[in-house]
Amino acid sequence: MALTLEQIRADVADVLGEDPADIPDDENLVDYGLDSVRIMTLVERWRRDHGTEVTFVDLAEKPAIEQWAPLLGART
Amino acid sequence: MTVSVLGRPVGGTTPTRSPGPRGLPLTGAQSGMWYVQSLDPGSPALNTAEYLDIHGDVDPVRFAEALHRTVGEADALRVRLVDTPDGPRQLPVPVEAPGHGFPLHTADLRDQGDAEAAVAAALAWMRADLAVPFDLASGPLFAHALLRVGDRRWLWYHRVHHAVLDGYGYALVARRVADVYTALAAGDDVGPSPFGRLAALVEEDAAYRDSATYERDRDHWRRHMADRPAVPTLSGRAALPSRTTVRHTAHLGPEAAARLRELAASVRATWPDVLFAAQALYLSRATGRQDVVLGLPMMGRMGSVALRVPGMVMNVLPLRLTVTPDATFAELTRQADLGIRTARRHQRYRYADLRRDLGLLGEGTALVGPLVNVMPFDYGLTFAGAPCEAHNLSGGPVDDLTVGIYDRADGSGLRIDYDANPASYEDGEVAAHQRRFLDLLTRIAGSDPHRPLSELGLATAEERERELTEFNDTAAALPPTTLIGPVEARAARTPHATALVADGRSWTYAELNTRANRLARHLIVLGVRPGVLAAVALPRSADLVVALLAVLKAGGAYVPLDVEHPPARLALVLEDTAPACVVTDTATRAATLPDTGVPAVLLDDPALAAELDRHLPTDPGRALTPHHPAYVIHTSGSTGRPKGVVVPHSAIDNRLRWMQGEYGLTAGDRVLHKTPTGFDVSVWELFWPLREGATLVLAGPGEHRDPAALARTIREHDVTTAHFVPSALAPFLDEADGGPLPLRRVFASGETLPRALADRFHATLPGTVLHNLYGPTEAAVDVSHHRCEPGESGPVPIGRPVWNTRLYVLDAALQPCPPGVTGELYIAGAQLATGYLGRPDLTAARFVSDPFGAPGARMYRTGDLARRREDGALDHAGRADRQIKLRGQRVEPGEIEAALTRDARVAAACVTVREDRPGDRRLVAHVTPASADAAAEAGPLDPRALRAALASRLPEAMVPSAVVVLDAFPLGPNGKLDRAALPAPAPVLGDRRPGDAREEALAGLFADVLGLERPPGVDDGFFDLGGDSLLAARLVARVRAALGADLDLGTLFRAPTPAALAARIADGPADDALGPLLPLRRTGSRTPLFVLPPAVGLGWCYAGLAARLGADQPVYALQARGLADGTPPAGGLEEMAADCLARIREVHPHGPYRLLGWSFGGNLAHAVAVLLRAAGEKVELLALLDSYPGDALRGGPVPAEADAFADLLRMAGEEPAGAAPVTRRQVVEALREESGMPAAVLREETVAAMARIAVHHAGLTRRHRPGVFDGDVLFFTAAAPGGADRPSRHTWRPYVGGDVINRDLDCPHAAMTRPGPVDAIAETLARYLGERC
Repeated sequence: MALTLEQIRADVADVLGEDPADIPDDENLVDYGLDSVRIMTLVERWRRDHGTEVTFVDLAEKPAIEQWAPLLGART
Repeated sequence: MTVSVLGRPVGGTTPTRSPGPRGLPLTGAQSGMWYVQSLDPGSPALNTAEYLDIHGDVDPVRFAEALHRTVGEADALRVRLVDTPDGPRQLPVPVEAPGHGFPLHTADLRDQGDAEAAVAAALAWMRADLAVPFDLASGPLFAHALLRVGDRRWLWYHRVHHAVLDGYGYALVARRVADVYTALAAGDDVGPSPFGRLAALVEEDAAYRDSATYERDRDHWRRHMADRPAVPTLSGRAALPSRTTVRHTAHLGPEAAARLRELAASVRATWPDVLFAAQALYLSRATGRQDVVLGLPMMGRMGSVALRVPGMVMNVLPLRLTVTPDATFAELTRQADLGIRTARRHQRYRYADLRRDLGLLGEGTALVGPLVNVMPFDYGLTFAGAPCEAHNLSGGPVDDLTVGIYDRADGSGLRIDYDANPASYEDGEVAAHQRRFLDLLTRIAGSDPHRPLSELGLATAEERERELTEFNDTAAALPPTTLIGPVEARAARTPHATALVADGRSWTYAELNTRANRLARHLIVLGVRPGVLAAVALPRSADLVVALLAVLKAGGAYVPLDVEHPPARLALVLEDTAPACVVTDTATRAATLPDTGVPAVLLDDPALAAELDRHLPTDPGRALTPHHPAYVIHTSGSTGRPKGVVVPHSAIDNRLRWMQGEYGLTAGDRVLHKTPTGFDVSVWELFWPLREGATLVLAGPGEHRDPAALARTIREHDVTTAHFVPSALAPFLDEADGGPLPLRRVFASGETLPRALADRFHATLPGTVLHNLYGPTEAAVDVSHHRCEPGESGPVPIGRPVWNTRLYVLDAALQPCPPGVTGELYIAGAQLATGYLGRPDLTAARFVSDPFGAPGARMYRTGDLARRREDGALDHAGRADRQIKLRGQRVEPGEIEAALTRDARVAAACVTVREDRPGDRRLVAHVTPASADAAAEAGPLDPRALRAALASRLPEAMVPSAVVVLDAFPLGPNGKLDRAALPAPAPVLGDRRPGDAREEALAGLFADVLGLERPPGVDDGFFDLGGDSLLAARLVARVRAALGADLDLGTLFRAPTPAALAARIADGPADDALGPLLPLRRTGSRTPLFVLPPAVGLGWCYAGLAARLGADQPVYALQARGLADGTPPAGGLEEMAADCLARIREVHPHGPYRLLGWSFGGNLAHAVAVLLRAAGEKVELLALLDSYPGDALRGGPVPAEADAFADLLRMAGEEPAGAAPVTRRQVVEALREESGMPAAVLREETVAAMARIAVHHAGLTRRHRPGVFDGDVLFFTAAAPGGADRPSRHTWRPYVGGDVINRDLDCPHAAMTRPGPVDAIAETLARYLGERC
């Protein structure tokens, strides 16, 4: 099942322990507590559940939801 | 987690260029490492290394090609670092082809034996290579090896300087090598380089430093760390970086690791957060600090070009965490998570820059404690299908401790490395911390994260068991008795044994018991009974012992009042205790007791004596139980009032029974009591000997401050057992050098016993055992003991618990500390005090429930820090609060501060103990003035007046040696008082200059002893300048040595300025040294020897003889009257002899007598002997030292002064030269020789007086008609050549009935009392007396 922007935001909020409504699409997620372990968790989860092939570096290089959406093939 | 770190190559991300010929500057990260290396260019500590263990077939040629290609792609690796005038720069280095200089070592180690042996050989090779430092300026800064350890097993080793690569960079390099190798093996295209360029890193770093983000990050960290706590480390030591690192590797099993991950998920954290929280918990408990700072390594690549650059980027940032026992582990994990998130937002700000911002320059100024380096990824690489696992070998330099945590790809749990600086940690310490941390992780994994942290301790189950049970196995069944019962039982058993030696006489047990019983019965009439308090205010004396016994016999508890404390202080104690009465004497009451309306029992009141006689002498009845109080002793209270500790009979009885069980006092022992009764050491000093049938020997009042007097008392009374506070033991050992001491055992307690002092003790008193004891008043004197053995090293332990006593070293959560970890010492068991008198709040705070004891059991919180040794003995490790131990006395700074702030002019006060000069610990008060209004009303703040006010309210030990007035207190970064920044007191020196040489000398000695930069004015008080009693003792010794003055401590207290002291010294000899009877040795069991003075009238010349006659021979010198003013008394030599005899009889009323005289003294001795015989007394010795009857001297009239001078010279053994008149100066010189007086004491007036006296004596001799002494005379002839015309001993024939036994000495008359002749005289005397007496 392909990822949606909402699902990305929900998963990011989940690993950060935050409310999805508090995660903007265009902000640097590092400022919200995103770290390498959490990125790895997301990479794994999305590979398992959605068959994506993004790497750690792909996500770490531009840590913002709107930057990730095209890499993850998400429908916006 | 096994995931690809680096994905598809992404080309053309950033326009980059390689370092050109001029090279590139270093990034901030690189600069940090370059700087560390430049501090020690030969150090290999900056080497990082790892190896990959490849399982499968590897083609070494293909591998070399893959490696060479990868290195060629990674320009960040291919640099050397050179120092230039513009700072360090990095320049490219060429990389040769494999086999042509490329740094790749290959070896086949299969010939080492099996795979295990081959791997061991490979690791040994790696370690050796790791010890080789790189040369930064030449490069390359990397090295590789491919080692074959099996047919299908290879190790790829990789060493790189930390200035060019970090841990993430290793992963990039390893992945690319594996990918290229795999592609080459498959014949595939290896694809373009995935790496970003070094120049991009440098540009990004420069851009960051110019950015607003940089400013924002800097502000954040400065704010965040402004009030940083002191950096705690597990070792408690700060050390310089070492060239090597000690590594211990351990593994946390997969189950525990999995549970930690579940726990992390359950509290919405990551598992690294859990590990940070666990390490913070461990560090906090191990250091006793609530606030800890961990080192947080940061990858530093998020959102950066550095994600693709194999270079050096990582950073370390401080992670501050607060660990409280009431918080839960979930909360602590959340705190770690939030702290790390915050740090991450500011992660590019360099550690080195932060240190610079905070002023932490130089080495040894740490900002963080242990680093926790969590590496959450395994590589998960394959080399053409061959799997491998990575093993880190070195992560670079370790300042203190780095805990490296690696997630293992094979699901086998976590690898946990402890990398330690060997300069800070013993090997065993590292292993112990690691073992316990893993144990803690396991317990955390198995516990509910929402339970309080207080349930988690550091100790393993086994350590906990040893701490609580094995080390505290002290149960001993004892009968329920009291402090006094065994004393009475002993008195009944051995009534005639000597119980007490005091005030110059002794008492048997029966005598002492009877006196105490009569007084006890009187006290009972006054209402003293079990549970009632009675104060005792008496100087050290037999009366004091009787009074204490009497209070106890009546069933009451005694309250000692220190007669040296100020009345205001005693008033507080009396108010606090409301005693039924105070037992004292007239003088003490008048001098020190405040008027409080408490009935006084005056022991010297004749009416009382009559009343006591009417009481029965038998032991009184009383309904006393072991639970009743035995005594109440007051200690310093932090809130401004002393607090009374109520100690029940059961507690002190246990203590004394243990002491007897441990040390076995016998009837032959003599125990010295010298500790003021306000200190509980006095309790065993007094009652232990009396319970065991030994003899109690009392030091004189005030003698506890005078080491020489104590040594004398110990020798005189054969004391076998004594106590010293360590700071008093040192000066005592100085005195002990003077000859053997009868001591069998010495107890030290009251403060830390330095090892050097224990060593000195063993060297000085090799036959005496030294015991170190520890305990607070709140637990009946002592609760632990250690026998010091010669040859031990390290700190002297306070040892192991006494009977029925449990000692716990507990952390902030009251969990037992494992060995080596400092915690607070708690005491449980039989010796606990009942509590603080009338202070239930204070009692509840310090006497708390014992969680390890029976229900209802209590334990006392000492406030002392302690550490358990592996063998169970305890080391003392300071205080958990501000309490000070000064010369064995407990001092609460708060009590002194409260006293200071009672003055309206003082706004705030801070009292600290300072050691501005080594070995010189002093109490200093800093105060700030109250508002200008208050000052206007009450006057300006005068430090001396403040000090004087304190002295009127506090015991001497609590009066600061200096009061310093500051406008404001120095504050630390957290806004709190920074005690370390308080300035040293600068004594304000007066400016009246010395008026004579003695004042000048004294002022100089003051300056020396007090460490002043210049001599004080002659009106400056020693104690105002910072002197205390220890320094006073030092000054007295120096004055004695330098000025030859017979000065005692009391004189210094009465005359504390150079001018006053000079006057006292001038007067002193008139009072003492020039007095008519000079005791040269008071002690000894033999018949005293009386020595009569030569013509000058002084007896000091006999000091050498007295010293040589041994400790058992008392020697008293008679001296002429009138030396002070030069006016001799009227009368002839016979009258003078009668006067001497009267003084002799005062000391020794009846014969036999021993007499000796030199020169004129011989004439006098002969006359005294004749008088004694006439009185029917036995004279067993009359010794004459080159002395002749008057008619043997020149005849004629009594000489004029000039003739007298010549005569005196002759008597002094010198022949006047030629016809010139003899001058006064010649005589003065000769007399000084003869007098034996130190030159400085001999004032011109004294010399003149001596001259007149000597002339007078010469006349007396001539006029005197000696009687006949009917015994033998022991004669010493000064037979040196040149004395031929002197009279002979035979001139005595008419006046001696017995024999004149002669011994010739090869010396002139004047030299008879000098070393050499005096040795012969002493030896002859000893033999003569030995044969005859």
